[in-house]
Amino acid sequence: MVYLDYSATTPVDERVIESYAKACRDFVGNPNSLHKIGVEARLVIEASTRQIADLLGVKSSEIIYTSGASESNNTAIKGICLKYQNRGKRIITTELEHSSVIAPLNYLTKQGFDVDFVKLDDKGRVDLDDLERLMGDDVVLVTISSVNSEVGIKQPMKEISQIVRKYKKCFLHSDMTQSIGKEKVDLSLVDLASLSGQKFFGMKGIGALIKKENIVIEPLIHGGKSTTIYRSGTPMLPLIVSLAKAIRLAYDDFAEKQNHIEKIHNHLINELKQLDVDINSNEYSINHIVNFSLRGIKSETMLHALEEDEVYISTQTACSTGDYSLAVYAVTKDEKRSASSMRVSISYLTTLEEIDLFIDSLSKNIKKLGELK
Amino acid sequence: MKVIKITAVWCSACLIMNKRWKEIEKDYDVETISYDLDFDEDEVKEYEVGEKLPVFIFLDGDKEIGRLIGEKSLEEIKKYIEELN
Repeated sequence: MVYLDYSATTPVDERVIESYAKACRDFVGNPNSLHKIGVEARLVIEASTRQIADLLGVKSSEIIYTSGASESNNTAIKGICLKYQNRGKRIITTELEHSSVIAPLNYLTKQGFDVDFVKLDDKGRVDLDDLERLMGDDVVLVTISSVNSEVGIKQPMKEISQIVRKYKKCFLHSDMTQSIGKEKVDLSLVDLASLSGQKFFGMKGIGALIKKENIVIEPLIHGGKSTTIYRSGTPMLPLIVSLAKAIRLAYDDFAEKQNHIEKIHNHLINELKQLDVDINSNEYSINHIVNFSLRGIKSETMLHALEEDEVYISTQTACSTGDYSLAVYAVTKDEKRSASSMRVSISYLTTLEEIDLFIDSLSKNIKKLGELK
Repeated sequence: MKVIKITAVWCSACLIMNKRWKEIEKDYDVETISYDLDFDEDEVKEYEVGEKLPVFIFLDGDKEIGRLIGEKSLEEIKKYIEELN
């Protein structure tokens, strides 16, 4: 099998599974219980949280555990807007956001909020002049993903942060699902950031919202105190332990992993350039993601043809019931390319041989499906 | 004029167009019937929505006389409506 869909999800690292299993076996108490095994469980969570906080450069009190990025994004966006709606009811975002950002924004428009979309430049990056123009005292939240999941465009978060910071009553949230664990991030640039363990070889079902300590939000889930008042529920100790392990492993030997990914990325790009495809990712895309478009072949047809050779990539779509990609359109302004895009996403586990197997299958199927046109 | 508007909560183009459509409703005599692609599956089925959202279906009585698909500028929407009229 050639798995090249690491941005959709990653296989769980065996060491993460082991830490999860060990935590399940060794710590049976509810961390909120006052007896000895409850206290032991709480201490384990506190130690794991400290570890995560140190690795991400934040405080332990700034970590809210969630079920994943969708919950983190919903908690951040609804939590801020509903709490601070007296400050203003305008929100700024981009067309490159994940559905778990767009859907809560849609919900908020029904509660009287107004959403503005900042323009993107011809490379898919936020037009900073337009952001300046859109900002105002009535803007309560700016939410912009650090890296787009389809085309891999990395946004200039430092410059965005500098603009938003001029407005003291406005908060900056970033969906960092495609950044954390894949690149070094500076969380001091934002007020809130979302992450998901399954994107960096962690377990599915655990993520976090990083929220600056002094910010109060309206919780989505009301109940007991848990590890924080902002997300009730019995603390998911084994998942928290596994998340700490996954984050630590993600940043172990980081420079070597990055070098390897760059080498794989460059090889992939060089090989794709030899084929009848258009590459949509550009110099601002992270090396982990390469998006390209087929010429005259439906991407879903190609996806299933590749599947026959046990090669797995994705047709990532947004604002579409089929193959059309708004993210690709935002970057290329090309209808045809937007209707036939595919995404290859790699990791430090990807080998040159796997890329060659993918290219062989892609090349073969372009010829085969092209003849059927 | 009756208009069937089909959107989805996860669609950014729909969010953009919802705002523009509110402007249209102020300026034109349109009766909008809104459906959500996922929540109103039964109602949406008969309109054969393609790959791109949102979809605005313009009706004369029960007969479809036009269809706007995807994100359009306010000027483009106005021009389209005026051509239909």
